[in-house]
Parts: sequence; C-alpha cells; structure tokens
Amino acid sequence: MTSREHQVSLWNWVPLLRRLLSRPLHALNRYFRSPVSPSKMAEEPQSMLQLPPSGAAGGEGLTEVSPETTTPEPPSSAAVSPGTEEPAGDTKKKIDILLKAVGDTPIMKTKKWAVERTRTIQGLIDFIKKFLKLVASEQLFIYVNQSFAPSPDQEVGTLYECFGSDGKLVLHYCKSQAWG
Amino acid sequence: MEEDEFIGEKTFQHYCAEFIKHSQQIGDSWEWRPSKDCSDGYMCKIYFQIKNESVMSHPGASTHGQTCLPMEEAFELPSDDCEVIETAAASKVIKYEYHVLYSCSYQVPVLYFRASFLDGRPLTLKDIWEGVHECYKTRLLQGPWDTITQQEHPILGQPFFVLHPCKTNEFMAPVLKNSRKINKNVNYITSWLSIVGPVVGLNLPLSYAKATSQAERNSD
Repeated sequence: MTSREHQVSLWNWVPLLRRLLSRPLHALNRYFRSPVSPSKMAEEPQSMLQLPPSGAAGGEGLTEVSPETTTPEPPSSAAVSPGTEEPAGDTKKKIDILLKAVGDTPIMKTKKWAVERTRTIQGLIDFIKKFLKLVASEQLFIYVNQSFAPSPDQEVGTLYECFGSDGKLVLHYCKSQAWG
Repeated sequence: MEEDEFIGEKTFQHYCAEFIKHSQQIGDSWEWRPSKDCSDGYMCKIYFQIKNESVMSHPGASTHGQTCLPMEEAFELPSDDCEVIETAAASKVIKYEYHVLYSCSYQVPVLYFRASFLDGRPLTLKDIWEGVHECYKTRLLQGPWDTITQQEHPILGQPFFVLHPCKTNEFMAPVLKNSRKINKNVNYITSWLSIVGPVVGLNLPLSYAKATSQAERNSD
C-alpha cells in the first residue's frame, strides 16, 4: 500500500516538473509562496498583497494583465492544481484592482494589482502606505465609486462583486492628515 | 480654504433626507429627529451590541437576550462558547447612539456619539475605543484630545462625545473636487460618514455607495 502511495505521489510530481521546467525561472517563485491564510477575520496585520518578488515578470506587481504574462493560479498549500490556464473570471482567487490617486497623493508607479479576494481594505491601505512610504502620521483613505470609503475590514472580493466592471475594481486612494 | 467644500444647512438636510431614504430601504435604523422648534434637527441611529467577552453560557442555557434586542446587525454574538459560566448578560448590553448634526460655525456635519449600558451607566471613551478599528486606534490614542472631545449636545443638552469637525474639510475636499471633475453627484453625508464612522466604530453598509450612483442614474 505504502509503496503504491509513494508511486502515485511521485507521478503527481511529473507533470508539475514538466510545467515548471517549461516556465521562466523567475515565475517559479509563484509556486513556493506561502499559502493564503484561510482566516477571513477583519484584521490581517501581517498579510501583504501576494506580489511576486522583485524580478518577476511584469515588475513590482502584476501590472498589465497581458496574455503572455498571465498569472496562473498559485497552487494551494496541499494539492498541486492541474492545468496552467487561468480559470474563468468568477472563480479567480484574485481580482484586478486599479489604484488611482486623488488630490495631492503621490501616484503609485504600479497602478494595477492582483489581489486576493479576501484581502481587506485595511490590508490594502497598509500596503499602499508602505509602498508610498507614508509616515505614521498620515492617514490613507480608499474609496469605491470615487466617493465612498468602505469599512477597513471589508474584503476587496466583495467590493469587486459590487463595484467591479470590465474585469477590474477601480479604487481611489487619498492621503490625509485629517487626525493629525 | 476651499469655499466650495462647505455645505449650507439646507443642503445638509437634503443629503440627510436622501441618506435616510436609503437607510429605510435597507433597515439601517437611521432617522431624522427635528428639534423642538423644528427649525433644524439631526440624524440619529441607535443600536445595541452585546459585549463579546461577557456573554458566555452553559450549553443549553439561554445565551442571549436576543428577543429583547430589536436592533440589527451590530450584534457581536459569540460562537460556540459552550464551556464558560453564564454571566449577567443584561449589564453587558451596550446601547450606541450616533447623531449627525450640522455645525454652523464649521459649515460641515459633525458626529456626536455616546454609549451606555442598559442601566444607564455611560461608557467611558476608553470603552468605546475598544470598538474602534485597529488602524485608527493608534492615531487616536496618541492624541485623543485633538480629535474626540466631550461636549454638550446642541439640541439635547446632554454630554456626548464629538469627533471634532475642524479637519472635515481637509479630507472631504479631495473627494468632492474629484467628483466634480467628472461631474458626479456625491451625497456629502454618505461620503463623510463612510470616512468618519469607522473611526468611532460605526460602519456603513456598502449599499449606501450604490444608492448614490443609483440616484444619479435615475435623475439622468
């Protein structure tokens, strides 16, 4: 029994190896990221956007979702997901977000990001603040529909369902020292 | 100073009316309360919340006085807490009140709030802050007196905590300027409350954001 199990698991690796070897080296990093936390609780202070490390295709983030750099779904922690094609839009674990600056807020070099659906607004705010190197005394607000600030624990996936169009969610961000 | 970002009292009342219209559609419990002489008024929301750590029960014992709490989704009911001793739930139910008033001096809306136990004992500011989202806590705790003060409610004459309005213009201006650029109507109250609300533990359902665009589409 045991040896058979071993045989089966070995065979599972063959197609994976084939796929890995056919890809550019830098894309391999995607397969070794730590899995997304299943927790959907409001605060995820340590979680960051799953950005490919520097040197990955497309620069610092998943920018233009062009055909040749289509991101395959990273496999979950246990199973290796078969198939390399991007699943249909609705079943994607990540959604595309386009970030637009408002007012005097610095514009991000990379505006388009692929973000897990379960990422909260707060997580996104923390990320943008780090990216823009804002100081602690500066607040950052994110808006949907250019006018409404979702709660910090709102998941971007939900926002995408409500406000997404053309396959992406447009979010405006604005820096403020409102409570400074 | 941006003159355009201030709103007059009539405009304030108009936006409140639109806001309350949607609130009624989704059962969000906001209502308008006119002052005694009816010249002005304010928007008000009351909800009840059970404090998490204090509502515990034996399995089989009745956990929550749910039946006596008609208000909505602000409940934070515990899941599966079957192993702990039952405590007096009544004293741990908290009544939150949020009032939106118009400030003539600042020409912006102002958020008044308070919380109390069912027996009338008020919560301290510190207690209220426990309901404040982490991202705002640090800022507020560093300099709370710059942002939250206790004042007499202009209409009720009772002590309330107030989120100081002096910076309102600062964070509203970019939003409004931006929306004007693209000729989009924005409900000032909805935008403003979506920003300041979470600071004091009040979160607006997403449908408010859609309500504004819906109203736009209907009027186009």
